[in-house]
Amino acid sequence: MKNKITLLAFMVIFQFTNLFAQEKTVTGKVTEINDGMTLPGVNVIVKGTNQGTVTDMDGFYSINVDENQILVFSSLGFETKEMKVGSQTTINIGMVANLEGLDEVVITALGISRDKKSLGYATQEVAGEDLNLTNEQNVIGSLSGRVAGVQVTGASGASMGGTQKIKIRGVNSIGGGDQPLIVVDGTPISNANFAGSDESDYGNLGQDINPTDIESVNVLKGPAASALYGIRGQYGVIMITTKKGSKGVKDVQVQVNSSFTVERAGNFMPVQNMYGGGSSQQFRTLANGDPYVDLSVDESWGPKMDGTPVRQVFSFYPQDDEYQQLTPFVAHPDNIKDYYETGYNFNKGITVSGGNENTTYRLSFNDTRIEGVEPNTYLDRNNLGLNASLDLSKKLTVSTNINYARNDAQRPKQGSEYGTGYFTQWFQRNIDMNRLKDYEYEDGTYLHWNLRRPDSNTGEIDNLSPLYWDNPYFDAYENTNKDSRDRFFGNVGLSYKVLPELELSAAVRGDIYTQNIETRTAFGGKRTPDFTIGKYENKEMNYEFLALYNKKWDDLSINGTLGGNIFNRRYSSLYQGTVGGLSSPGFYNIDASIDRPNVSNYLLRKQIRSMFGMLSLGYKDTYFVDASIRNDVSSALPEDNNSYWYPSISGSMVFSELVDWDTLSFGKLRASYAQAGSDLDAYQTSLPFGVGTVYNGTNTLFVPDNLNNPNIKPSFAHSYEAGIDLRFFKSRLGIDFTYYVQKNKNQIISLDVSGASGYSSSTINAGLIQNKGYEIAVTAKPIVMDNFKWDVNFNINRNKSEVVELAPGIDVYTYGSTTYSSVNSYLNSYVGEAFGSLVGQAYQRDEATGKILLGSDNMPLYTDATHNFGSVLPDFNGGLQNTFSIGNFNIAAMIDFQGGGQFFSRSKMLAVRTGQDPLTVATNDNGMNVRDPLEDGGGVKVTGVSAETGEDVTAYVDARSYYRNVLGRRIYEEWLYDASYIKLSEVRLGYTFGEKIMQKLPFKSVAVALIARNPAMIWQEAPEGIDPSAISTGSQSISWYESGQLVSVRSYGLNLNITF
Amino acid sequence: MKQTYIIVLLFSFIIGGCSNFDDDINTNPNLPSQASGTQLIANASLYLPGLASSPKGEFMAQYLAETQYVGASLYPEESTSFYGLYQGPLANLQAVIDSDGLSASQGPVPNQIAVAKILRAYFYWNITDRWGDVPYSEALKGAENFTPAYDTQEFIYNDLFQELKDANAMMVAGSISDDIIYGGDMSKWKKLGNTIRLLMALRLSEVDSSVAMQEFNDALAAGVFTSNSDNLVFRHLADANSQNYWYGQVVDQNREWWAITETLVEEMKPVNDPRLPVYADPARANGEYVGLKFGEEENIGTEEFSLLGSDIIAQDAPVYLITYAQVLFAMAEAAERNWISEDVEPLYNMAIEQSIVQWTGSSDGVQEFLNNPEIAFDENRAMEQIGNQRWVHLYMFGYEAWSEWRRTGYPNDLVSPNGADVPNRLSYPDNEAFNNQVNYEAAVQRQFNGQESIYGKVWWDL
Repeated sequence: MKNKITLLAFMVIFQFTNLFAQEKTVTGKVTEINDGMTLPGVNVIVKGTNQGTVTDMDGFYSINVDENQILVFSSLGFETKEMKVGSQTTINIGMVANLEGLDEVVITALGISRDKKSLGYATQEVAGEDLNLTNEQNVIGSLSGRVAGVQVTGASGASMGGTQKIKIRGVNSIGGGDQPLIVVDGTPISNANFAGSDESDYGNLGQDINPTDIESVNVLKGPAASALYGIRGQYGVIMITTKKGSKGVKDVQVQVNSSFTVERAGNFMPVQNMYGGGSSQQFRTLANGDPYVDLSVDESWGPKMDGTPVRQVFSFYPQDDEYQQLTPFVAHPDNIKDYYETGYNFNKGITVSGGNENTTYRLSFNDTRIEGVEPNTYLDRNNLGLNASLDLSKKLTVSTNINYARNDAQRPKQGSEYGTGYFTQWFQRNIDMNRLKDYEYEDGTYLHWNLRRPDSNTGEIDNLSPLYWDNPYFDAYENTNKDSRDRFFGNVGLSYKVLPELELSAAVRGDIYTQNIETRTAFGGKRTPDFTIGKYENKEMNYEFLALYNKKWDDLSINGTLGGNIFNRRYSSLYQGTVGGLSSPGFYNIDASIDRPNVSNYLLRKQIRSMFGMLSLGYKDTYFVDASIRNDVSSALPEDNNSYWYPSISGSMVFSELVDWDTLSFGKLRASYAQAGSDLDAYQTSLPFGVGTVYNGTNTLFVPDNLNNPNIKPSFAHSYEAGIDLRFFKSRLGIDFTYYVQKNKNQIISLDVSGASGYSSSTINAGLIQNKGYEIAVTAKPIVMDNFKWDVNFNINRNKSEVVELAPGIDVYTYGSTTYSSVNSYLNSYVGEAFGSLVGQAYQRDEATGKILLGSDNMPLYTDATHNFGSVLPDFNGGLQNTFSIGNFNIAAMIDFQGGGQFFSRSKMLAVRTGQDPLTVATNDNGMNVRDPLEDGGGVKVTGVSAETGEDVTAYVDARSYYRNVLGRRIYEEWLYDASYIKLSEVRLGYTFGEKIMQKLPFKSVAVALIARNPAMIWQEAPEGIDPSAISTGSQSISWYESGQLVSVRSYGLNLNITF
Repeated sequence: MKQTYIIVLLFSFIIGGCSNFDDDINTNPNLPSQASGTQLIANASLYLPGLASSPKGEFMAQYLAETQYVGASLYPEESTSFYGLYQGPLANLQAVIDSDGLSASQGPVPNQIAVAKILRAYFYWNITDRWGDVPYSEALKGAENFTPAYDTQEFIYNDLFQELKDANAMMVAGSISDDIIYGGDMSKWKKLGNTIRLLMALRLSEVDSSVAMQEFNDALAAGVFTSNSDNLVFRHLADANSQNYWYGQVVDQNREWWAITETLVEEMKPVNDPRLPVYADPARANGEYVGLKFGEEENIGTEEFSLLGSDIIAQDAPVYLITYAQVLFAMAEAAERNWISEDVEPLYNMAIEQSIVQWTGSSDGVQEFLNNPEIAFDENRAMEQIGNQRWVHLYMFGYEAWSEWRRTGYPNDLVSPNGADVPNRLSYPDNEAFNNQVNYEAAVQRQFNGQESIYGKVWWDL
């Protein structure tokens, strides 16, 4: 059906080629009305036709018209003017500038355009060109630092399209699942995620929007703004408006946009280069006396790398040129860096747009190819987009927006157990990475570095299977994960202007994707050969009906909306995985499963029916009141309790209309209150059984660990917001201040309960989480000259969260936990404290002095894993963008910053534990290396208080025992880092070719730019090598621990933009 | 114009508004809404091998020494969670016992309940022996009580005796289906219930010998194991879905992390114990059985020590949980304590014979072994010999052997690595301090004076 409508739209568009009679020629000049400056590029159209022209460099135009016709003059930034031709042959026009900001139109909920001044709540819009400063591929990622109150956290560029997460006004959901709704031209689209917290990060699905199609992004932050999205808008809405063709003179604009960037791995953790692999400083020896490197130890507590000739790993492979040879035992200081390659990102896009009086169209195609810094990783993406509208009659308009996206990727794995994260965690400093590159010998034997020790009699290694780690090149080329996704989203809509003040519209909106994920584990590595394949299909349809009423009397304006919506979701998946190994190498198929494979199919259906109304009243363009109400009925809620109402009210007063103070160009006070609700996933109100292992033909079933709740209610967010919007000096300085309080009640969470109840968690309505904060956005134009302009955009927000209550008798909620080497750590929320406290093992301290307590062996004592280290959430974050236009040059730089917050770094802990960190080869105050024997003055100096005697103790302890068994394993307090940072995230240096050159070229405009993404971390509190802005991996929605983080990627390149 | 507004209103109400959906839209098609009692019991049974197959348990009894991450075997003060046992097998068994919808098509309903009660008692027995006071009477109640109080071990023992008696009494003729342990044979379940009661009774020998003796004799009279075919054994399959834990570790993951301890080799090698070749492989370096000193940290080469035997790490290796030999050792000890009138020596000899048959599959070498002067019954060393041989027999069920060590002190040559003695219990899960704070703190206060420690003693451990 949809396809037919699209086809019809196309046919009609191309049949509009009417020709009109030409009676006489009218000429004239268009100027700015106040200062008389000539205006080039103004559209001059004969009303009701597709005939027209554009003013030249000197503001002159010439056009053939009929006496009865009307000329329409329009240009961006000016009020449109109409002039009846009559008998005139010269029509000079003075155009009135639209004072910026005063009459800004913003797209609000349901795609309704509103005067910004009439809104009683905060919205902040980001222009598409700012998002596209450096061709960032993920629109969520490019919002980072650009909107007050919005925090973006995400994956390193090395993840190849990894997940970017967004939080609006702090953590509003105890369960952490507070991602805003993404809406593209009125169509809600899925921002789902198929990643876990390790292995490949398949990214957030919101990135299927072609960034170059984006006209603007408007973030609706609070429930007031999103009340009209009901259940799905509780955590805010990201409204994306796409570029469209423009009505006017029949014109076709072709734009080609291409960029090429080089990607380099950067920000490596420092490592030591004195001691190599092993667990003892003495070499082990073969029967013939040859010393050898202990290959079975994936740590660097071994002998000094002093060039001693030893048997290294290659010498145990009979296929190797160095078989049985002794080679110098030396450091390879760059062995980690050597693994990374130079990646590139090649992006090509073309758009064709245009329109006439009745139609608009824009067709875009984009092709992105990224090769990652990790070997054998890539991401290919294609986007195809069509926007078109057609006035079928004066009253009836049909419009459509259709997007297709295709992704095809092979991404690196992350986390402590996969991929390259282990280099800083478990490795030998003496490994020559370049030597591992050819990972397969001619006879098919794989070369690994971590093997069992040789037989002490024969000096051979019989079992060449790797112990803990594969050769990373083997992993990269043999154990590949592939994923692909095809996706369509968009809408077809009809609108009918029944009366000048009443418009009815209906739309069908859809978002349909198929995600495929395939993983392979090859023969010859440390893991059992394995193959998994998953197909995930999602279809979300929205059927929408809207009636819009707009009427303005002298002083009074009315704006009313009434509508209904049906949301239908159908999600299904089919996953299969082999068990017990594969039948033959290279045959990756479920048929190859040795044992009964894992197979699961899943179906989810959900429907939400809604109706809503909104009424907005304005008086004298000064006082505005908005009220809205929405009813949602969700199929996922208990049948007798599934219908809920959400009201909102807001008001604003443009007080600058009342005061006569020239300096103040605009001033508005606003306040709002709103409720928004949220339901839960389907099937959570029934009590099913789980399907267990089939034992010898007996199917087993079990009671699930999570206890569902048949009496669940929707949760409600109550938000209170007040703000002031000020513009000074003809809008050259703007300050927008917002204070908000948001209370999220009755959160539907899976509450961890005592396992002794028989369940690990229970779905309950619990708690009250409160966020208070303020946001300041400043826009300034310090310099506005003809050939020198400086624009500043700055924003900062501060948020304080508090868990006010959980459930009766429960005052701790465990959001997440990790266990490593039997040591637990938690992310807990305690009643009365901020959301998300890190909890783990700390030093035991003397109560009186705070000094560390030491045991009888002088090792520090530690608490159990219940010490509360405080919240992980940042105190404030924000961004600063400076843009300069100097002649034909333009320079833009984007800075992100964050203050406060903390995280636990397992990478750092393990780097110390395994003797790779420079700390483990420090010189102590005896001038000896800490690894030297205690009797020679070596050892790590420890000071504290003896737990037994209470005496102060200063002692030296064995470095390996101290770092490996105590600090690097048990004392999490040592590995907590402040997450504050200031990052230069984007830089662009552009040049637009001047008119004179353009006249000689067949192009309308040409612009080139040097671009840099993530070029530098200006300052960070955390140690070098850990990027606090990219610590959360995959679908982990709150950043609280880092483990095997991918390296940072810095991209530098060139962008070329040509308009024909 | 009015008409238009009416149409608009109507349209909005038609599209939204009504609150009835297709009947099945929120019915989960992905999971079953019904489970038979025997399917739940079968799933609970899958957790049985997990009671034994645990490196931590083997460290407690010092059967195995860690070769790679020695720190894990140095008795760190860290919590061990019991949540998995409540959420897994116990929740299933409780659902069977509480169900009012059990169907006789899977066998007589009382038999389903009796089996669930026996298994529930067995899991609880393991839990209380490891941790001490634990949630029991208020546990497994789901939303009714998310913060169950801890019952004393004494209360739990007494209640479990009663539960096992009830189970014994309620059984009727007729087998049950989906029984992956005894193939539905109720006579074996009956013996199992009584055997558990017998062994539990013995555990109270020090704390309350009169109750112990009474329950022991009652259980014996009710009928306990009479041969190895009665054993509670979990038989793993040569199938990755139901494979032996040690196979996954040693073979699949290539982890040579565990060697046989010097203590165990010293106990077995000098007396040519026929079980040693099953328990361990000779060291690759010299072909000899070489034990690794428990807790040894310096430069361990796995080729120099005896690692787990190939039968022990086989994918389909059985896991022995309660065995006939254990019953015989218990009876030998009871005879020594004069709880029963039989002679000690034949029971002792028989216990060793049945142990060797169980582990090696034959009685070859039994007589020779029993003739060894170290092994031959010596009435002056009866308790020690029974204790040591029971320890050898309980190989690879470290937690059970550790309980017997705590009760009897045998074997008396366990080492204290790095000065750390063998613990007396496991530390409670640390998230109990978040999830069940009041009850957790009360239990720690009541038993250990507020100081949670692996060196606090459980009730029966004097």
